[in-house]
Amino acid sequence: MRFHIPYPYFTGKSDWMVQSKKQKYLFLAFCLIPTFIMFSIFTLYPLFSGLYYSFFDMSGSSQAKEFVGFDNYIKLFSDEIIPATIWHDYFLVITKVIGIMIMAVFIAVALTQLKIKEAPFYRIIFFFPNIMSVVVIGILWAFIYNPDLGLINSGLEFLGLENWTRAWLGNENWALTSLVLPSIWAGIGLFMLLLMGGIANISKSYYEAARIDGANEWQQFWKVTLPLVWPQIKISILYIVITTLNGSFIIVQVMTGGGPNNTTHVMGSYLYQQAFQQYNFGYGATIGVMILVISLLTVLILQFILRRDKVEY
Amino acid sequence: MKRSVGNMISRTGIRIPLILWSIAVLYPIIWMFIGSFKSNAEIYANPWGFPETWNIQNFATAWTEYSIDTSVFNSLIVTAVGAILTLVLAIPTAYALERIRFKGSHFLFTLYISAMMIPMVLGWIPLFFLLGQFNLLDNIFGLAIVYAISQLPFSIFVLTSFMSTIPKSLEESAAMDGMSPYGVLWKIITPLSMSGIITVTIMNAIQFWNEYFMALIFLQSEENYTLALAIDFISSEAQYTNAWGTLFASLVIAIVPVIILYSIFQQRIAKGMTEGAIKG
Repeated sequence: MRFHIPYPYFTGKSDWMVQSKKQKYLFLAFCLIPTFIMFSIFTLYPLFSGLYYSFFDMSGSSQAKEFVGFDNYIKLFSDEIIPATIWHDYFLVITKVIGIMIMAVFIAVALTQLKIKEAPFYRIIFFFPNIMSVVVIGILWAFIYNPDLGLINSGLEFLGLENWTRAWLGNENWALTSLVLPSIWAGIGLFMLLLMGGIANISKSYYEAARIDGANEWQQFWKVTLPLVWPQIKISILYIVITTLNGSFIIVQVMTGGGPNNTTHVMGSYLYQQAFQQYNFGYGATIGVMILVISLLTVLILQFILRRDKVEY
Repeated sequence: MKRSVGNMISRTGIRIPLILWSIAVLYPIIWMFIGSFKSNAEIYANPWGFPETWNIQNFATAWTEYSIDTSVFNSLIVTAVGAILTLVLAIPTAYALERIRFKGSHFLFTLYISAMMIPMVLGWIPLFFLLGQFNLLDNIFGLAIVYAISQLPFSIFVLTSFMSTIPKSLEESAAMDGMSPYGVLWKIITPLSMSGIITVTIMNAIQFWNEYFMALIFLQSEENYTLALAIDFISSEAQYTNAWGTLFASLVIAIVPVIILYSIFQQRIAKGMTEGAIKG
């Protein structure tokens, strides 16, 4: 007979299936080891190995590598393009966080609080770009920005603002800014849903209490909704920052390839250029280490800044 | 009375930005569909209007001259193999981490989950050489393996949280009847987690179908291109050939399966993605 063995402490897991220790470990090994081996080979090993590569000069194949100590790091700190790529990444982070959060909060509040009967329609439409391929988004928007045929320039001409038309993605001053709109366009839906989930969980009694105290809808938003969805807002901001720092280079690669004249290069696209187009793999790995460090540091600092005691009423 | 009038005005006022944003989202997508039926001459003459005659020449050109057929096939293989491999690797691990007590289970779970936050770009350089050594570089099966492992943390996370809702009594009574843990995993847990498994699989399949950057790095020859790479290729060619119609047709081919999945599984996809984001 096999019975649940009571433990003095509770972990939420039970050992009912254990017939003998040996069988338990065999089953555990069956469940965990193949997966862990694959994970180690294709995720853990490459990450640590990337760290190791950053101390080598490797051009071409992996056989021809030469230990160079901190040379790649010295090169990193004196490379003029690097500070620009970091700034471009943070520019995208900041504009995306502001743009997405303002719009997502507005839409989430509108769709949950204001009893609009076609709300499900908006929800379904606004979320869709989130599951579109970055390639499709990038190419679609590159066409929208097209200097001759594009929607933006046609629209400006239609409004009589010919002076404002320009080759958006080919203009050194405007290319980076032009990348913000597609990123926001594609990003809002997920955060709208996250915030809607948070708002749906707020008890109606808070709003009733606020109304009795004479708070208008605007005050209710600032005093009730916003503080109570703070956990969701915090998660959303962190998520936008992480996904931008770890993935902004994809839309850059599709839309501008880092140009014109490096004005849209972000850290990841510069890594791609150095490693996979110019075959400076060692230096590419050094840029990768920088991305890792910057991304982890940013998340840590942000978590500290956003730390705010849970609101209790 | 005054309140309800004010309410109506404010609700109409709220609708205007919602309607504008709907247009901003839908118009480029609809326009892409319309463009795929226009000739190049028409795209130039009237880029944002309807075509005079709807013709499917662009699709035929994309399919034959730009060998989109091969890319669609490659993308289907990569997506299917990747999605199945993810499940094979994720289900047993998710079960063990959720239900079996062992030393280091918390550490292992944290390790998998934190991999979701690590920028993998750094790993792609060594992975490039590793795949070369395994003869898996420029190989769609190699790409499928890389894809599967990249979605492993997300899949384990969603599956464990799903399995935690299955009552333990079912496993206990099955075990009392003499079923082995392997039997419990295969015959009890897997069917009962089917809803979670479907959610994870749809999310992963869309991810693999859409993926661009890893394919760009790990595939090289044109006959191995996935759809995303083929489209990127057509797009860069279109700068010189001006074959915009063909480009739109290939974009449509890429997006239609996603639209179909979204219209069937809209709620699952939305739930799966928000859950994946919440762990952060």
